[in-house]
Amino acid sequence: MPVATRARWVLAAATSVALVASGCSSSGGGGSSGSSDSAKTFSYQSSEPQNPLQPANANETGGGRIIQNLFKGLVDYDPSNAKIRMQVADKIDTSDSQTFNITLKDGWTFHDGTPVHAKNFVDAWNWAATTANNQINSSWFSDIEGYQDVHPASGQPATNKMSGLTVVDDLHFTVKLSGKVSYFEYKLGYIAFSPLPDAFFNDPAGYGQKPVGNGPYQFVSWDHNQQLTTKAYANYQGVDKPKNGGVVFKMYSTAEAAYADLQSNNLDVMDQVPPSALATYKTDLGDRAIDSPQGAIQNIGFTLYQADWAAPDKAKVRQGLSMAIDRDTITKTVLQGSRKPATAWVAEGVEGYKDGQCGQFCTFNAAQAKQLVTEGGGVPGNRLTITYNADGGHKEWVDAVCNSIRQSTGVDCVGDPRPDFKTARAAITGHQINGAFRTGWVQDYPLNANFLADVYRTGAASNDFGYSNPQFDQLSTQADQAASVADSVTGYQQAEAVLASGMPAIPLWYYRTNSGYSTKVQNVKFDSFGNPAWTQVEVKG
Amino acid sequence: MPDIHDESSFERHPKPGVDHLDYAGEQGMAVEQETLVEPDPEKREEARSLWGDAWRDLRRRPIFLISAVLILLLIVMAIFPGAFTDADPRKADLVNDYLKRPDWTDFFGAGWFGYDGQGRSIYARVVYGARASITVGIFVTAIVTLLGGLCGMVAGYFGGPVDALLSRIIDIFFGIPLLLGALVLLNAFSTRTVWTVVVALGVLGWTQIARVMRGAVLTVKQADYVMAGRALGAGTGRLMFRHILPNAVAPVIVVATIALGGYIATEATLSFLGIGLQDPTISWGIDISSAQKVIRTAPYVLFFPAAALSITVLAFIMLGDAVRDALDPKLR
Repeated sequence: MPVATRARWVLAAATSVALVASGCSSSGGGGSSGSSDSAKTFSYQSSEPQNPLQPANANETGGGRIIQNLFKGLVDYDPSNAKIRMQVADKIDTSDSQTFNITLKDGWTFHDGTPVHAKNFVDAWNWAATTANNQINSSWFSDIEGYQDVHPASGQPATNKMSGLTVVDDLHFTVKLSGKVSYFEYKLGYIAFSPLPDAFFNDPAGYGQKPVGNGPYQFVSWDHNQQLTTKAYANYQGVDKPKNGGVVFKMYSTAEAAYADLQSNNLDVMDQVPPSALATYKTDLGDRAIDSPQGAIQNIGFTLYQADWAAPDKAKVRQGLSMAIDRDTITKTVLQGSRKPATAWVAEGVEGYKDGQCGQFCTFNAAQAKQLVTEGGGVPGNRLTITYNADGGHKEWVDAVCNSIRQSTGVDCVGDPRPDFKTARAAITGHQINGAFRTGWVQDYPLNANFLADVYRTGAASNDFGYSNPQFDQLSTQADQAASVADSVTGYQQAEAVLASGMPAIPLWYYRTNSGYSTKVQNVKFDSFGNPAWTQVEVKG
Repeated sequence: MPDIHDESSFERHPKPGVDHLDYAGEQGMAVEQETLVEPDPEKREEARSLWGDAWRDLRRRPIFLISAVLILLLIVMAIFPGAFTDADPRKADLVNDYLKRPDWTDFFGAGWFGYDGQGRSIYARVVYGARASITVGIFVTAIVTLLGGLCGMVAGYFGGPVDALLSRIIDIFFGIPLLLGALVLLNAFSTRTVWTVVVALGVLGWTQIARVMRGAVLTVKQADYVMAGRALGAGTGRLMFRHILPNAVAPVIVVATIALGGYIATEATLSFLGIGLQDPTISWGIDISSAQKVIRTAPYVLFFPAAALSITVLAFIMLGDAVRDALDPKLR
């Protein structure tokens, strides 16, 4: 039973105060544009990882983007078109969408020089899936046969090996799923499926502070809350050989600080410009500004696990609140056109995106909004708090959404800022939220299933709402078992339609990547994941 | 401040005629004195008291008059914001009013100062924001004056081990920087109202008053009339509150008035940092904080709440200055 799973919660900015002065990553600047020095590193606006750096233990962007660079799985997604491309895998074959025969390329090595073999994948996946190891992304492996044995719903696991994984030889292994998952290979590009070197298993905790991967970059040092330094791995076998000397992830607590650093060339590539700069960043940066679509969505989630919100008629209240939000105006004004109003729970541009799934509930209509809220018995205490992380530039739109809700429905609405993303996420995953909270979702793989099964299915790792709907579960399970990816996509569209009736989360808008880079780098292009094509960034000589 | 208790002692132990001339001479206001001589000795005494004299002095100072009028205005604004504007400070109209520029033809209207990044009337928010600032300023000052005054009085009056103990406690609190202490304290509360901030600042801010009070009490305690009172069998309470307090309170009032402006600024700082007041409370500090995001495109969003804050703090500090000059002519 796939009880699917995980992906990275979008965030935006983050972290440390201190750095600021700590200068650029690369030595010196200048030089004529066009020429580049493949030995020089560049810096990137990041945030302190929530967890130690173990591939299956990062479901937020801070840790996720670092792991993405340190590791390379069987497949990844081409930054230019989001299509799957083979990396460590030579080929992935299946005849029945249930058993997958995987062949590895020869010659891949970890940063410690040991070869990447079939057992490195199998051991890593078994370890990550096992309850005892407490990995946040463990449910990613729930498609695999035997997952229940290593990760029972309760109690101790009977074994620490999933029966569906079989090593054939050094370069071959098979994966048998407990059911048909027609799009399984899409998932394999996610960081949780990264291989681990033998050294990992001796000291997983210590490894998390000093990870050794097989990706384009190798770990150099991690100065907590300041920066994490990597350098290009000379023996990298992937199709995307680094054109630079490494990435320095600088931890920022505010996007404003990062933007100031970018303008003074102390930061090379932004993750996302702060709202305060949206109106001006294209003028500020000229042709160094970036505005590209992203497979990500912003939502307001509800605490359906609270008695106040669990009652069936509260769905009407949530629908009403959704209708009370003037998405068009807010995206145009407060968000400076950096977002596009959402009409569905799946982001635009993702395979299976269907416009209008949310129907009338995502269209602003104050009168009907008020009526629905009243019919549903109103918001508990007539007061809604929206919890959000204060380090991500969310205050402006949360305030605007609250104003919109208050003025349309009379429900008092206030933002509840938490100091940083980590704190906010801890409160959300720990069910310490009262009422509503900001959530975002960046695709893990460009398929609608990722926006649905991994978020809204009963017990899914990122189901922070406590949403449980048998019809949704059934439809998504059917979609997983479809004969083809195309059928699966249609199946998930049917499941998505179910969300409109329960409204566990209000879709707000789709993300765009509004970013920019310093004068010291060039060839910076962002993919639909909102990440730059790391290895393609060129640092001017 | 011996001059203060001397004057007061005249009030309590009148020797009409003699001190009149002495005092007038000291003040260099002989001419004025002549014209103001009251026929009724009772009333004359009133006019000659420290307070009466200070008041007469103050009335002639433009700085005092300006700041007093401003403060009066702010207090009225804090109590009756609706009298200054019809606009609702929480009404946000993004469709029509997003970052709309100030419109000076809309005199005292909602659009006078323009609109902020949520489409709210900046003028209305400036008017309604006065309440939080004034409340924090006045109530924190009240708390620190009571707490610090009492502590300083007890320490100064009893002296010895009591003084030693209280002085060490004062030292300990004095060592905590107000802003830092308030940050730590307020961080413990996830929901904060005006009163949370008042209590936090009050608890941390009383030491300065306590020190001033203690010093004043130590001086006054030595005065002849206190000795006399004691010799005549006056009890501790009577000595403290009838003889010492009225003569030691002047410097406390001066320090408290000046500090009041400081508390308002501290509240705004805390709110700016996101650790003071919270929505839906309307505070200049919060508005200044959110205005910084649009400072480059819409500087007026920052300007008006910042100006209101500056004027308010300045008014209280100027008032404190004027009061100090009036009560303590030696410092002039």
